[in-house]
Amino acid sequence: MSDAVMPLKLTEKPAHKTTGQFEIRDYLRLDLFPHFLCPGCGHGIALRALLWAIHDLDIEKDQLAVVSGIGCSGRLSAYIDANTFHTTHGRPIAFATGLKLARPDLHVIVITGDGDCLAIGGNHLIHAARRNLDITCIMLNNEVYGMTGGQVSPTTSLDRFTTTTPMGNQEPGFDACALAKGAGATFVGREVTLQTTALKNLMQEGIAHQGFSFVEVISDCTEVYGRKNDLGSSPEMVLSQKRSILPKFDGTAVDKPFRAGDWETGVLSREDRPEYYAAYRAHCHRVLGK
Amino acid sequence: MNATVTGPTNVLIVGVGGQGVIMVSKILARLSQQQGLQVKQSEVHGMAKRGGSVFSHIRFGEEVWSPTIPMGEADVVLGLEWAEGLRWLRYLKPDSGTFISDTKRIVPPFSCRDRQHDAKHGYAHHTVADIVAQVPNTFAPDATGMAIELGNERVANTILLGVLSTVMDFPVKDWLKVLPEFVPAKTLETNLKAFKAGRAWTKKPHEPDLRQTTVQAQAGPLMRRQVSLEITEEWCKSCDICVKMCPERCLALDQRQIVKLVKPQACTGCRVCEWLCPDFAIAVHVEAVPAENISVVTATEVRV
Repeated sequence: MSDAVMPLKLTEKPAHKTTGQFEIRDYLRLDLFPHFLCPGCGHGIALRALLWAIHDLDIEKDQLAVVSGIGCSGRLSAYIDANTFHTTHGRPIAFATGLKLARPDLHVIVITGDGDCLAIGGNHLIHAARRNLDITCIMLNNEVYGMTGGQVSPTTSLDRFTTTTPMGNQEPGFDACALAKGAGATFVGREVTLQTTALKNLMQEGIAHQGFSFVEVISDCTEVYGRKNDLGSSPEMVLSQKRSILPKFDGTAVDKPFRAGDWETGVLSREDRPEYYAAYRAHCHRVLGK
Repeated sequence: MNATVTGPTNVLIVGVGGQGVIMVSKILARLSQQQGLQVKQSEVHGMAKRGGSVFSHIRFGEEVWSPTIPMGEADVVLGLEWAEGLRWLRYLKPDSGTFISDTKRIVPPFSCRDRQHDAKHGYAHHTVADIVAQVPNTFAPDATGMAIELGNERVANTILLGVLSTVMDFPVKDWLKVLPEFVPAKTLETNLKAFKAGRAWTKKPHEPDLRQTTVQAQAGPLMRRQVSLEITEEWCKSCDICVKMCPERCLALDQRQIVKLVKPQACTGCRVCEWLCPDFAIAVHVEAVPAENISVVTATEVRV
């Protein structure tokens, strides 16, 4: 157990950090900027929140590994100046599992998208959640396959138009948080990009959590999804998130939703279950005596 | 201060919602009732949740007709908050009235003149000395400060009640008998202590030292926030989010569709633009500098 990861605890944050005044350029690969995302894409806001959370947790860049798959979200790992790994479609969680088992001292964060995580990589998501290995999965949900031209994804809302559903989508979408929770994820949360500070706090809690943590970020795709569905300009799309959320505070039940289809946000579930790596090492010790 | 046959005694109790104006007036009304006097009490309440102005008229005597106190006829104005006390001062009898008020200042947010940190506000500027010059019978203890010393900020109203009891004719033992009927049982001990502290305060010589100004002089230079905006033009993709989200509307897109700070004076450094910029093109720098060195918000352009 000597090489087991030191548990990372949420500590009381120094006052200067809560304001978000930090040099974000220290965490970016500046030679790749400006980034490739479309104007108004919410993924950039999510990336800032993630870097802010990492800064507030005082994680050394050498101790951080970011793994991502394919899609708009997949590109984000390239912009982070840390150990990053841009993997094949749907497999970032699988790569991250291997990475975490080989290098338990690293903080492994997966950045993935709705298609990457729930369609192509749905299998890996549920099994990683079942094992409860200490990795953080951040799923950026923009309800569409943006990079490949706007095809329908597993989270596209009903009646929305995409290039593959020209008459409107008739498939019910996934509730990714319910899926992760059902599969056994011990920390599940959801937040919108509009609420950057809340998003950062949620990510911070997810990273500090011991076990598989799943954070769904509701992001906006202005150029492909918004344009096709007439959802307005970037500011209008970001602001509309305010009207479609139902904040939930750490498992406290709310009476009833304002409207069907509202996203519950905040920490949706938290569970105490043995972490996989520690349990695996203990088992090896028992069986092999080392 | 006598409840004479010629007319009722008028006490006006004022404060901010949530301070206990109604509780104090109930105690006084019950007490006068027990003394065999006629009592009429009328109030405006319901502002408690909003931190709004609350007042309560109490009139007692051999015979009371109207429930409200005419302007300039109050024998005592008891203010639980400084500005509220001053607001009702014109109801006081011009020559013989007694003014009792906490020096506690609750500055309402909407009295602020702008949204900057350390904003100027329109709160009453009168000091205790100013009021003593107008009303000789002024008692202005720092009741809230005394209450915090007693361990419960909320007993400030009982301290003022103690002060009030020294200017009324009712026996102290009757006051102490009424008090337990209205205060919560678990805070009774603190409330009794507070009542006695209020009475003791009036006996102490507090001529000019305790009636000093409410506005404390600040030590050291006044620090203000210096805000500067760093815009990386090459990274801006004209998505318009910052322009539309800025609460002060101080950003705009220029003719090249690149974001620009157009109203530097209005910027409060709230960071909304920085947080919501998906392209990392805006950085807000906030630092504290002495007020005299402050210059207007500056925008710097940085090339990478």
